[in-house]
Amino acid sequence: MDKLVKLGQDIIQLWSKYWPMYMNGVKNTLILALVATAIGCVIGLICGILNTIPYTKNDSLPKRFLLKLIRVLVRIYVEVFRGTPMVLQAVFIVYGLPYFTDNALRFNNIWVAAILIVSINTGAYMAESVRGGIISIDPGQTEGAKAIGMTHVQTMTSVILPQALRNIMPQIGNNFIINVKDTSVMFIISFTEFFAAHRYIVGVNNMYFPSATIEMIGYLTMTLIASFLLRLVEKLMDGSDSYELVQADQLTMAAGTYSHPDKGTPFDERSKEYRDRTKLALKNRNGSTRGGR
Amino acid sequence: MSEMILQVNHLSKSFGSHEVLKDIDFTVAPGDVTSIIGASGSGKSTLLRCINLLETPTSGEILYHGENVAGRGVNAAAYRSHVGMVFQSFNLFNNMTVLENCMVGQVKVLKKSKEEARVHAMEYLEKVGMAPYINARPRQISGGQKQRVAIARALAMDPEVLLFDEPTSALDPEMVGEVLNVMQALAQEGMTMLVVTHEMAFARDVSNHVVYMNQGLICEEGTPEDVFGTPQKQETRDFLSRFRRN
Ligand SMILES: Nc1ncnc2c1ncn2[C@@H]1O[C@H](COP(=O)(O)OP(=O)(O)O)[C@@H](O)[C@H]1O
Ligand SMILES: [Mg+2]
Repeated sequence: MDKLVKLGQDIIQLWSKYWPMYMNGVKNTLILALVATAIGCVIGLICGILNTIPYTKNDSLPKRFLLKLIRVLVRIYVEVFRGTPMVLQAVFIVYGLPYFTDNALRFNNIWVAAILIVSINTGAYMAESVRGGIISIDPGQTEGAKAIGMTHVQTMTSVILPQALRNIMPQIGNNFIINVKDTSVMFIISFTEFFAAHRYIVGVNNMYFPSATIEMIGYLTMTLIASFLLRLVEKLMDGSDSYELVQADQLTMAAGTYSHPDKGTPFDERSKEYRDRTKLALKNRNGSTRGGR
Repeated sequence: MSEMILQVNHLSKSFGSHEVLKDIDFTVAPGDVTSIIGASGSGKSTLLRCINLLETPTSGEILYHGENVAGRGVNAAAYRSHVGMVFQSFNLFNNMTVLENCMVGQVKVLKKSKEEARVHAMEYLEKVGMAPYINARPRQISGGQKQRVAIARALAMDPEVLLFDEPTSALDPEMVGEVLNVMQALAQEGMTMLVVTHEMAFARDVSNHVVYMNQGLICEEGTPEDVFGTPQKQETRDFLSRFRRN
């Protein structure tokens, strides 16, 4: 019991002395995670889209070759960055670049280096998620779009990607949360995020455990808030479960909100189940792969 | 011959070594309502999908106003905007409302303004009786309603021909009628239609041309009176007798 009291006192002591440093770390961690997740999603989106451009035997040889090449390059990118620790990638880019170019190329801004590394990593994970999100949209909708003359790009931007994005929202959130935590390895390139603050502070006063407790609480608070916000966004994206019936001429249905909670055809059931199933599968797969990072 | 909208010559399609369509010839003239009947697996869907270039024919030509669209270097998207298709499984866009489903093609493909597209979409949604539901999403309406929206979506593109692939096969029996009524109304207005169907009453009473397909071949074709009244081939008689019994 007095141990807990002692811990409480130490935490208060540390916090009152160093809170600007901790808070600065929180700020840097959040900015880095947010920016890198956003850029990473864009990278993932581009890779996922490039990776799913369809081609048929009727396409010209150069086009088919180019698309094949793109797929191979994306594959290599994903495997390399998913298969190596981010902390080593950071070392490679920040210290390797000047080493190989005799200081001609180097990162003068540590922010640029950190954002670059985390973005590229996130992109590698998101590429697979986006690809999964795209191929989980039932091909019928693609055919429906083709049948009214929409091009591949139009089909993607108007029909497939909005739905794929909704389906991969859990993974985007997942990646953000992982980035909040995993940016802690960026101390290796002297980036002053939340964990670096801890390393500095305990280096000065040796209060390891109280400071680590502050870190734990800090990280948990950040990720919990992120989880909560993510749920909110998903809810908003799903839209309303009911719709307004537009009163036309002699139609006698009651005005106002009218919804079919479970009316439908066997087909409805199937497609809903299908969607839920793919969503779940995507979630599980991502959870297990990234959990290992 | 040039007044034909579509002219299919020696069309063949194989999936691997499986020859699904064998040397198909037929034509679609303006105002034709052609029903394609035949057993499951006889290649009816594949034929429609080839005509709409959703499948690439293995050989043969598909002439659209005399121009072959089955070769390389054809702008498939532009061609498809003239040849609408209605699917068995509706294939509505789940991220859009009923109204948006009927507008997106007009805006993106035909480059109409949103307002123009909305007015035009409403016209057809009213025609298929779905105007009250414009704000609903596909998951919120019944199968018959979905199919009527899908028809309105295709019509809103002002296609020259509409292809239907078993438009009522995925529907509960009580919803089949509402979709067939819409199709019959379209036929009476002179819409050119190519309909794969198991609804023999529709084929007999609404269409002016019936094609019976068997194992990738056009086995018999003619007016409904000929094909249903005096079928020439034994296969056709066998196929039709299966429907008479029930
Ligand atoms: N994408 C495909 N790959 C391989 N075989 C196919 C494909 N699509 C259709 N088939 C085969 O082609 C034959 C005809 O199919 P289909 O045109 O759907 O017939 P129908 O519509 O008359 O029932 C079937 O034997 C089917 O298995
Ligand atoms: Mg079929």
